[in-house]
Amino acid sequence: MEYEIVMGLEVHVELATKSKLFCACAAKFGAEANENVCPACAGMPGMLPVINKRAVELGIVAGLVTNCEITRTISFDKKNYFYPDLPTGYQITQLYAPICRNGFVDIETEAGNKRIRIKQIHIEEDAGKLVHDYRPDSSLVDFNRASVPLIEIVSEPDFRSSDEVVAYLEKLRSLLTFADVSDCKMQEGSMRCDVNISVRKVGSDILGTRTEIKNMNSLKAIARAIEFESQRHISALETGCEELVQETRRWDDNKGETYSMRDKEDATDYRYFPNPEILPVHISDEWISEIKDSLPELAHEKYDRLTGCYGLSDYDSKLITSGKNISDIFDRTLEFVDNPKEVANWIIGDLASIAREENKSYDEIEIDCEKFGKIIKMVENKVINRTIGKKVLQLLFRDNIDPESYVRENKLGMITDAGYLENVIKEVLAENEKSVLEYKAGNQKVISFFVGRIMRKTQGKADPGSVNSILRRELNDWN
Amino acid sequence: MKKEFFITRYDVKAENSFALDDNIMVKDGLTTGGSKMLHNFVSPLQATVVEKLLDAGMELAGKTKLDEFTAPGIAAETCDILSGAVGAVSEGACKIALCNDVSGKIRRQAPENGLYYIHPTYGTVSRFGLIPTVSSMDQIGIVCKNIDDGFNALGIITGHDEKDVTTFPQKSYAYTPKEGGFKIGIPSNVMELTDEKGRKAIYNFTGKYDTEETELKYFEVFAQVMYILSSAEIGNNTSRYDGVKFGYRTENYTGLNDLYTKTRTEGFGLDMKLLSIMGAHVLSRQNYEAYYLKSMKIRRLIKEHAIDLFSRYDAIALPLKLNDPDPYKNSALYAFATLCGLPSVSVPLGSDGGIQLISQVKNENSLFGICKGGR
Amino acid sequence: MDLQTVLEYEAMVKLDLPESERIWIAEKASMLEDSFSELSKVDTEGIEPLISVLDLNYTLREDIPIKSISREEILSNSPEQCDGYFQVPKTIE
Repeated sequence: MEYEIVMGLEVHVELATKSKLFCACAAKFGAEANENVCPACAGMPGMLPVINKRAVELGIVAGLVTNCEITRTISFDKKNYFYPDLPTGYQITQLYAPICRNGFVDIETEAGNKRIRIKQIHIEEDAGKLVHDYRPDSSLVDFNRASVPLIEIVSEPDFRSSDEVVAYLEKLRSLLTFADVSDCKMQEGSMRCDVNISVRKVGSDILGTRTEIKNMNSLKAIARAIEFESQRHISALETGCEELVQETRRWDDNKGETYSMRDKEDATDYRYFPNPEILPVHISDEWISEIKDSLPELAHEKYDRLTGCYGLSDYDSKLITSGKNISDIFDRTLEFVDNPKEVANWIIGDLASIAREENKSYDEIEIDCEKFGKIIKMVENKVINRTIGKKVLQLLFRDNIDPESYVRENKLGMITDAGYLENVIKEVLAENEKSVLEYKAGNQKVISFFVGRIMRKTQGKADPGSVNSILRRELNDWN
Repeated sequence: MKKEFFITRYDVKAENSFALDDNIMVKDGLTTGGSKMLHNFVSPLQATVVEKLLDAGMELAGKTKLDEFTAPGIAAETCDILSGAVGAVSEGACKIALCNDVSGKIRRQAPENGLYYIHPTYGTVSRFGLIPTVSSMDQIGIVCKNIDDGFNALGIITGHDEKDVTTFPQKSYAYTPKEGGFKIGIPSNVMELTDEKGRKAIYNFTGKYDTEETELKYFEVFAQVMYILSSAEIGNNTSRYDGVKFGYRTENYTGLNDLYTKTRTEGFGLDMKLLSIMGAHVLSRQNYEAYYLKSMKIRRLIKEHAIDLFSRYDAIALPLKLNDPDPYKNSALYAFATLCGLPSVSVPLGSDGGIQLISQVKNENSLFGICKGGR
Repeated sequence: MDLQTVLEYEAMVKLDLPESERIWIAEKASMLEDSFSELSKVDTEGIEPLISVLDLNYTLREDIPIKSISREEILSNSPEQCDGYFQVPKTIE
């Protein structure tokens, strides 16, 4: 029997605001426990919520880049439940009038192009963080994340494979990072994804029992969890060894399996009601068009600029627009070196390979673009050769050295003195007579062997152009 | 001077002092909300009203006793206890007292003890630093012996507050009694339910005015709408009291759920427990539409009715009590102003007891004028 | 409202009432619930719910972070704390 997987996604994305959603505490990641907490986000009585305008703006931006309708009068509701990471005993969210509705995102997979429909996007506050491994008998509560603004992007059940899910998440990440809505870092939890999953026989239009899986913190984990959970559903249907129930399940990445959270969805009654402390917010046409006018360049628009204006290849342009960080590095470096092709070559050829050596993803590359630009210029102006350039870039990447003074202090300037190079080359040829004879016999490959030896003797500083022409002349003159 | 009206008492002269119900926060001072839940809670912030009164040169006399979180109780025993704010002003311990009268208890008790109570328009006084009870109805008001003192203090505490963006944008309010030409509506459907004394108080007081019999529509469901909306909001506003971050925590517990349950069971009084359970009941999936949503809709009808009434009258007069002593039924008398955010003044009338006068939004000056004897 | 229903709501709002209180609440809740049946007599067809009586332009806040209070002050009211955290019994096994 053939089965089809049916999935819908709930994606939580932390908004890139400086302050929290309902109070003015800082929203930055990585502070000491409870450092960014005030009486309001610690759940104390007597404080009233005041909405962060930027959070609403970013909610609108998220809707615009995902082709949603923007709701003109939005409101906020209270969702009731008790948990130590929820300081007030209720979460402020949007149930009745979410900020965006009815959008879509187009994705591309090996199977082809597909449109994923978005049901709605709503704004809500995050909860705090619980730390379990610090003390044996107790959990510790940190409210730094409490009331940080989130959006939840709810899709229709349009996914049929984990490839589609991954493609959609990558597309969302691209749209939202380029639009400065969020940094979408799954490891830090600023992008989280819950998957609603069920299976049915191909051709059937009756949906099977649905489970929700959560706690996946990478795209790889999401794909594995979908694989596991769909197989569990299918074998339950096939063998009857297990009865499927509608429930929420957690992904255990170490064991590679999902397990029940023993929390039957239907049993929880969140007792939602409209929040009387927050009045409806009206979103005017003017506000929306103001936001539209100031939207940053999205990945596909930037791709068009790279291929169109700069004449970069499809491959290079795709790579540079594959992530917000690497794309920003390109643009910022371009401010210092007015040569898009050269900058692209350096990023794709050198910077990318250094990052790989250092085990860093493109998103994690941190580099001073002005210094990076200086290296490119020094090579362009023949102050140093390309090999030295790459070495200096490596040091810039690791230790943020100053390229110009480093080159000066370590005397790495390019050797172009023809007389000096001629002597070095003669020496190398004399030391390797056997190879010279091979060349004479027609083996061109030994050229690169000689270049390597010459570079070693000049600590890599020789001008490759001069080396090449002198070497060929000397070889031809050899007898 | 009897001390038992106060939870915290300061040594200041009464003439220029104010008392606060103990749900209004004074920075670095104990603020209990009248609940065991907050028996040890030291406020990290200063309520805006306190800031304003201190800036105006008044002195804090102390914090007065209140029903737990000033919630509308239906346990008869709590309804009969004299409010600390009323007691303190009546005893002359302070010039005025500030409190949040959601239930109507203080609006009834003040005139019975020879005092006025001014319940201002919702949105004119900042709620920053007030422990919330029913957020959509919470409104700090003033108990006073002398109506001029009351409106003078009201002028100080009203005005927009950026920490409470549900206050009107108007920066300040000046209260002066309106001269006259008042027309007062007397709802006959309510008069039918009150006793001889209540009727006498209304007719004696309004005798010199241009009056008209009218009807206060939806009066028969005021108490229900009030209880449904307020239990939901109270249950929600008090779910933060769980023994984790501040306030009372039970002594012996095993595990988180036990900590929550014991703390809340030991920390809340009976009326609060009933309100929490009723709050969950009216918001539950199966009842939301029939109870909560329905009540919000009726609340709109009542507000629209109020607009209609005040297009015809400067004020509506209501008695303080019904024939039936049931506190739940009596709450209907105070629900009109609370549900619609209308200003009202409870007026003491000596042996006649008292009455309440309600006016339209931001029309405190008409009520002031009537209290000053304007015709 | 019967005792079983009260019990279910107790779990929801984290209460565990002594029997005498449960009986009192069931009685009062039933009385209240009886009175709620009056609501259905009011015709609310086509009426929008009223969430707040206020009719004003709600102002939003600019996105500027402000530190208002120290961590020590935030934690000073807590029943149990540890190294800058609030402390509760273990929430997972």
